[in-house]
Parts: sequence; structure tokens; C-alpha cells
Amino acid sequence: MTLVIDGLRKRFGDVQALDGVSFSIRAGEVFGFLGANGAGKTTTMRIVLGFLKPDEGSVTWQGRPARSWPRRTWGYMPEERGLYLRMPVLEQLVYYASLYGVPRGKARKDALDWLARFRIAEYADRKAESLSKGNQQKVQYIATILHDPDVILMDEPFVGLDPVNVALLKSAFTEMRDRGKTLIFSTHQLEQAEELCESVAIIDHGRIVTAGTTREVKRSTGHQVVRVATAGDGDLAWLRSLPNVTVTRPGVDYTELRVDTGTNPQAVLRAAMARGGDVLRFEVADSSLEEVFVERVGELDVEERTLAAAEARS
Amino acid sequence: MNAIGNIIAVARREYSTRVRTRSYIVATLLMVVAVAVIAFVPVIIRSVDRGDSERVAIHVAPADLKTDPVATLTTLLNTTSEPGQASATDKPDFIVSRVTDLATARQDVVDGAYTALLGIERSATGDLQFTLFTNANATGRTAALVRQASNTIAFADRLDQAGVAQSDQATLFVPADFEVAWPDPAKTDPIQDSVAMVGRDVLAFGMTVLIFMIILMYGTWIAMSVVEEKSSRVMEVVLNAATPFQLLAGKVFGVGAVAITQYAAIVLAGGVALLVQNPVASAVLGEAGTATALPEGLTLELLLLFGVYGILGFLVYASLFAAAGSLVSRQEDVNTVILPMTLVSTGGYLIGIYAATGLLDIRAGWIVALSQVPLVSPFMMLGRVATNVAAPWEVIVSVGLLVVSIAGALWLAARIYAAGVLLYGQRPGLRAIVRLIRVGM
Repeated sequence: MTLVIDGLRKRFGDVQALDGVSFSIRAGEVFGFLGANGAGKTTTMRIVLGFLKPDEGSVTWQGRPARSWPRRTWGYMPEERGLYLRMPVLEQLVYYASLYGVPRGKARKDALDWLARFRIAEYADRKAESLSKGNQQKVQYIATILHDPDVILMDEPFVGLDPVNVALLKSAFTEMRDRGKTLIFSTHQLEQAEELCESVAIIDHGRIVTAGTTREVKRSTGHQVVRVATAGDGDLAWLRSLPNVTVTRPGVDYTELRVDTGTNPQAVLRAAMARGGDVLRFEVADSSLEEVFVERVGELDVEERTLAAAEARS
Repeated sequence: MNAIGNIIAVARREYSTRVRTRSYIVATLLMVVAVAVIAFVPVIIRSVDRGDSERVAIHVAPADLKTDPVATLTTLLNTTSEPGQASATDKPDFIVSRVTDLATARQDVVDGAYTALLGIERSATGDLQFTLFTNANATGRTAALVRQASNTIAFADRLDQAGVAQSDQATLFVPADFEVAWPDPAKTDPIQDSVAMVGRDVLAFGMTVLIFMIILMYGTWIAMSVVEEKSSRVMEVVLNAATPFQLLAGKVFGVGAVAITQYAAIVLAGGVALLVQNPVASAVLGEAGTATALPEGLTLELLLLFGVYGILGFLVYASLFAAAGSLVSRQEDVNTVILPMTLVSTGGYLIGIYAATGLLDIRAGWIVALSQVPLVSPFMMLGRVATNVAAPWEVIVSVGLLVVSIAGALWLAARIYAAGVLLYGQRPGLRAIVRLIRVGM
């Protein structure tokens, strides 16, 4: 019951866009596909959807080649929004759905329901060009899901939305997941992924840097994060003197530390209490996705060398 | 996969959004009005023309003239270039009357009561002398006809002087037996008479112009609409639902239907105008209505071939225009990328109409060969059929080749389209296009 992406390679001229991309996504989960611009997110999605042929590798859904499933299995929201600007909103939603074989009457009714949920019902008969960017994006989302696809792929769905619309879209995501749909979205806004995704993959320069459940990925660095605040003069020298501990974010409110693998974070608490001041805050947490991302993508040079060496050996 | 359903859905969207645009409606209405006006031009001209007959006076000084100059002049002046057009109820163009006083008649010409006055005198040598008094052009048609009539009158007079009897004169003036024939003795088919020839030429010319307009105008339209979908990024949305081939075919058929709608409206307007022309003419002009007939030279065969070559030519070009459009992502680049099609169609069109109108020899070997080449035949064959120089098998072969080339063009276009629609940024070079066709994207 998974979407398996296995060993994708794709070259465009001189650029190796994908260089052995493999990961899998469980059916019914929300999956975050993280990477910088040009990392290979869109190319991977286009291959999954069958727009592009990989040079090597394969994509299967539920054990069968992804391309062999009916088109209505897939919903796709491209990064750049695509609507017929001079066509009325409702009419084009019905058109998109009809291409997937949805009867026009049903498409019309469902589209109106969704428009109402997104609070843009009054734009149904307006031309798309008269809508704001945010509203166009909501129409785009409706176009993506109107034919009730099992797998929904979205490229940067949150870009350009105000906080109210981000919240609306997130609740729509949650609803689709509760209906058993698989949602895959790419983003470089890592806090969105952290909030929504059960699993993530980080891609950089056409390679998967790390993939797994969000928790696994967050722990993949091997560090833990400790946030600590003590009553006192804000002198951080004692923290810096602790072994295997690095101050990552000195602050007035609290100080954030990175505790290396093998060191018990409780040592920080003991040190704080030994110093005699009141401990106002002590918190042990996993690394944030952002920290993982910065760390892993930054380390890629080392990794590339290791991989190259491994390939040379094999 | 419901391929046909998707092609229909794409074509339907293409059609319904396009026929509703204001520019399309306005353009169609203008063309309908223009066609109706053109169809009514003969009636309009006749109604303007018939207003007044011109009056010509004739003053005959010598009393011994045996022929009647009034009758001779009347006959010659009222000879029209279209024999059989002047019906009995028509007023004659010219009314010739004899006047007795030359000075008064000259003043009447000055005042405008007469268009012209012809004075006939006998000179000292005994020959007749003619003077035309007119405000009009000295070398115009009227003057030329009067000169011709004067010659006839003078000849008859000289024969009278020479003592030739009137009855013998009649045989003298019987027109000579005159014939036109092909220079090539092998050719036995009768040479076309000029009226019918011109009629068919003009029709083939007009139809070729229409085919060229359909192909270029709607072809460009298709390329533009592909680019519009790319630049608005709708392409990726619809590409998830339909295959590139379905999108391509739907677009070609949809825009084709738009073209057919426009031309049907025009043909209908023209047809109705032709049908009501005679009733309207008889109502306005008080003429007896004549039977409605197709214009000279317009045969059912020619009309049918116009439809066949128009539609097949459109299909082959439209696929290529769509493929070309898929290679660029900005409207500004469309004209560059459709240049090959524009050049080929314009070249074929020019050669076709030059051949049809006689500027090029329509029997030349290279014209005959070109009329079989699929991208060019839609512009060439009508002219050859209209001038009776194309054998039926030639038409059948060229239509067959055209049909085969449509399949080829669709296949080629679908390959280019499939790869091109996801291509953004720089326009690919020729080598990249060839690679796309070979391996896909």
C-alpha cells in the first residue's frame, strides 16, 4: 500500500537533475518533500505523474507501475498556478473534472460546495483573471481534487497565501487525509511540513539526503535540543564550558543548546542547579526540520565524497 | 482511458470559449455583411445604372443618304459586352434621335439635354464628313462607338456612290468565319471561351485565397492557444488528465469547428443573398425575375473539392502549427516558430494563384508535380481542376497523399507536443527538436 520511488535518474543536457532518487510513501499519509529550488522536487513529481520519462528507475503505486493507473488516480497542483484566465471559474472547474470522466452535473455540484467552503462562492461565474492570487490558488486546489484522486501531489501549495488561507488549506488537507487520500507536497517552508507531515524526504542536487517519518528525520542528526533559562545575569560562560554541548541560539528569553549523541541532556539541568540559580525553563526536544535541513544539506559535500568512495569500492 | 471523450471535451471547450469572444462575433458579422453586399453588387449596379438613358442627337445635312444613320448608331451604341443581358423590358442605354437644326442641338448639348451630337455633312470631295460635339472624353467608349458607327455609315455611303445595291451590301457586311485553336496539334479539346474561363479562374482563385486564409489564420490561432496554455501553466493541469495527443487533437478539431462555423455563416449569407437577389431585383427594379442559378463556372465538383482541400489542408497544417506552438512559452516567440509553415503555405499559395490566373503556365511539369505535394496541393489543385488540366486520378492521388500526410503530421506533432509542452525558457534548436521527436522527453 505504498508509492515506491525507486532509483530515479534523469538528465537534462548537462544537468543531472535526479541522481538515484529513492523513497517510499505510505498510502494515507501526508508526505513532505523538502528541498531548495532546483533540488529536483518538480522533476520527481513530473516523473511520478508520467509527464517525464526517467532515464533509469521506476515508480509504482500499490505494486503496479504508476503510469498504468487511471489518470483519475492522480491529482496534481503545479507550482506555477494554471487557470484559463478568461474562462469563468465554475466552468473551468467542470471542464477539468470532465477530463477525468466526472459527469458534468456532479462536478458542478461538488465544485460549488468547495467554492463555498473556501468562501469564494460568489466568484463562480467570474473570469479567473478577476480573482486575487490567493483566491486563484484556492480554485487551483479545487481543480486538483475535484475528481476525487487517491494520490494528490502539490508543488509548493502554500506559496503566496495569507495566514487565513493557509489555515483553510491546511484544514482541507487534513480532511482529504481523513478520507484516506495520500497527500504529497513539496515545500521549502519547513515549519509547514513539520506541522502537517507524518513523513518527509529531503532532496538536494537530485539526491535524497534523508527520508523517513518526521520524527526519525528529526532525530537523524543524533543531536538533541535543550532550551534552558535560569534566573540570573544571563552569563552563558558556564553553558559553553559543558562538554559535548554547543550553544546554538543564545537569547534573552531562553538559550538553545545542541547536545551531542551519547550525552544525557539531564547533565545540563544538573549543571544549572549546581550553579545555584533557579531554573525557569528546561526542555528537551528533537531538532527542528529546519535544523536538520541546514545541517544535512550543508554536509552534502562530505556525503558526496563518501558516496563517491563507496561507489568506487563497489 | 476515455480518449475520444477527452478529445471531445477539449474540442468542446476550445469551441465554446472561442465562438463567444467578441472579436470572433464581430469579425464573423462583418464578413457576413461584406459577402451579402458583394452578392448584391450586380443588383445595386443595375439599379444605379438604369436611372436614365443617354440621349444622343444626330444631324444629317445631306439628303441623299440611303442608310438610316439613326438605326446604325442606335444598334452600335447599345451593344453591350454581355450579350443576352439586355432584356426587352430594359431601357436602352442610348436613345438616338434626329434633329433638324444643328445650332440649336449644339446648344442643347451645352445645356445637357443631349450627351452628344453627331453632325453629318458631305464635303467637297463627295465623301461624308462627321463631327462629334460632346463635353465627354474624346477617346471614351461613346466616342469610339460613334466613330465605329460613322465608319459603317461612310462605307455604306461609298458603296451607294459606287452603285452597289443595298441587298448586295448586306452580304458584304456578313462577319468573317473566324476561329481560335490550340497551337499544339495534339490537343483536340475545344478551347475555353473567355467568359467561362474567366469565371472558373476567378472562382478557383477565390477558393484558393479562402483556403489560404483559413489555414494561416486559424493555424496561427492554434499555435497561439497552445502557447497561451503553456504561459498560463494550464498545460500541466490538463496534462495530468489528458494525454498530449488528446489535447492536440481536441484543439485541432475544436478550432477547426470554429473555422467551419465562420465559413458556414459566410457561405450561408452568400447563398441566401444569391437566392433572394432576383426577387429583390424584380421588386426594386420592376424586372421580370429570372431563374436562380449558380454563378458561372461554379460546379458541384469544384465546391466539393474546395471543401475537401480546405478541411484536409487545415488538418495537416493545424497539427504542425500546434506542434510549433508547443516549442515556445511566450506569445512573442510564436511568429518565429511558425515561420516554416507560414513560408511553405505562402509559397504554395502564390504559385497556386499565379498558375490559376495564368501568370505561370499551369501545364508546366513542376506545377503538375507540386500539385501532388501534400503541404502545397491544397493551394494548387483547385486552379488545375478549374482550368480542366487535372485528370481525375491526379486529384485522387493528391487527396490520398494529403490524408497520409495528415496521419504523419499528427504523429510528428504529438511527439513534439508531448515533449514541447513541458519545455520552458529557451527555444530549442533544430537538433534538440529532432532529439525530442526521436526519444521523447
